[in-house]
Amino acid sequence: MNRNNFLIHLALAVVLILIAAFAGQLNRWRHEWKHRVHIMPIAEKKRASTAEEIALAENHPGRAELLVKFKSGTSAGAIDKIMEQFHDRVEDRIESDPGLEAIDDLDDANVDATVAKYNTLPEVEYAEPNYEIEQDAVDSSSFVPVLPHDPRFTDQWALANSGQRGGKEGADISATRAWAVTTGSDKVVVAVLDSGVDYTHEDLAPNMWTRPASLGPYHDNELGTIDDTNGFNAIDNASDPMDENGHGTHCAGIIGAEGSNDIGISGVNWKVQIMPLKFMNAGGFGTTKDAIEAINYVIDRKKAGVNVRIISASWGSTQKSRALEEVIRKAYESDILFVAASGNASTNNDRNPHFPSSYNVPNVISVAALDRNDQLAKFSNFGVKSVAIAAPGVDILSTWLGNEYEEKSGTSMATPVVAGVAALIVSENPRISVDQLRKRLLDSVDPLPQLKDKVTTGGRINAAKAVE
Amino acid sequence: MAISKADAIEKARKDLAQRLNVDASAIKEQSVEDDDFPDMALGAAEDDEMSGQMITSGWRIRLGANGQNYEYRADKNQVRLVGFRGKNYRV
Repeated sequence: MNRNNFLIHLALAVVLILIAAFAGQLNRWRHEWKHRVHIMPIAEKKRASTAEEIALAENHPGRAELLVKFKSGTSAGAIDKIMEQFHDRVEDRIESDPGLEAIDDLDDANVDATVAKYNTLPEVEYAEPNYEIEQDAVDSSSFVPVLPHDPRFTDQWALANSGQRGGKEGADISATRAWAVTTGSDKVVVAVLDSGVDYTHEDLAPNMWTRPASLGPYHDNELGTIDDTNGFNAIDNASDPMDENGHGTHCAGIIGAEGSNDIGISGVNWKVQIMPLKFMNAGGFGTTKDAIEAINYVIDRKKAGVNVRIISASWGSTQKSRALEEVIRKAYESDILFVAASGNASTNNDRNPHFPSSYNVPNVISVAALDRNDQLAKFSNFGVKSVAIAAPGVDILSTWLGNEYEEKSGTSMATPVVAGVAALIVSENPRISVDQLRKRLLDSVDPLPQLKDKVTTGGRINAAKAVE
Repeated sequence: MAISKADAIEKARKDLAQRLNVDASAIKEQSVEDDDFPDMALGAAEDDEMSGQMITSGWRIRLGANGQNYEYRADKNQVRLVGFRGKNYRV
């Protein structure tokens, strides 16, 4: 190796080491920031207590507010006298540091004043507040945004609205801040109950569910045994849920087009498992019976051990079906969330229900659609009693048949946004129950005055709040 | 195979003639307009039919016969008759 080659190799090695060190530091920063601690004086915490907490504290006395170091030679009797004089109590003696006592102020007076009082005593070397160090709930507004490497990400206003094409900056689901916490997990399965999914789409293929080798093919007493390698087709009960319409593929991309892969777009989840279920045909419509068959399939696979936690249902009609309602209730009993489109008739679902989104079953979340200015879409159904939440649903770019991408509008598009956020939550909280998951979603909105009388939560889903 | 606008109009005329039991020449084309429909059943779902809740572009076809007006809706995938004697039909 000549001298020039040696220098080039040496320079390359130095650069690689620097990159590795920088990446490691980034990771450490992320970890520290995510798990940062909050320090608060115990006394302050006591003052902030609710009536319930105060009652609890009275039953469990002994939250020391001060640490007082008495000078060497101060007798126990002298300390007892000071306690009596100040109406305080020695909560604990720190054996490793003779003279250091943890003091409980029985009056719960101002801690700074109490500390100052102790510091004036000739017996005291020093006094200071007793700080409690605790992990704090992280405020999502401080999350550093994480941007994916996807060439068409800048067109995905629902995930990051910079005001592109006349939109309102920030009228989005705060996905980039949520991704600072989680980009999803391939342990979470989301069932897309729709027209099937083009599972060969290059932006979806890595995130498609396939039946694990350890799990036998699906068996139904009436339908027989079906090879569900790639999901389930309820139309002909054949094995292949390939999408012939595009609608299901679009919804799947919103939930989980692979993120940061230098291809196309990013899903709400960069990583997830999408289970395709086909009950709507090439025209984009299907029967209640086939929808029921497909939901039954999901419940069966869940019981067999597949971690399917969410069904995304971007469809419906005004026809009520008790059988469909019952099978959705069975999904609830199997701990599966059911996210459903509120409908596109511009009508009030409180008066004119739309199903399945209007079924009064605890796992159902009905979703309205917003435009890029945070306004309820002109077509979107609403209902302060029956429509739970709103999400972006106008001009949504997502995957389409044949490795293509298209912009589509509808509560169909808003529904998988919420299903996708639910999957992000599960990725961080694998043991969360369906009730907790639903509550978490509904508690994670940005309130919008224009939605106050339109949806129950009065707001747009915020992914960062959901995972904080 | 995708249905063109001309195919859709022709299919609608034939369907209406058959339903009314009249000659196709008795069916008059009143208007054909591009339109957006609220869902993938073109806002005209049959009983027991569920459809994708995506805004769908297509054509609104208005036909006349025997002094009555009839509305069909179509897109590249389907043709539907709306509210014929109180019901919707996929043609």
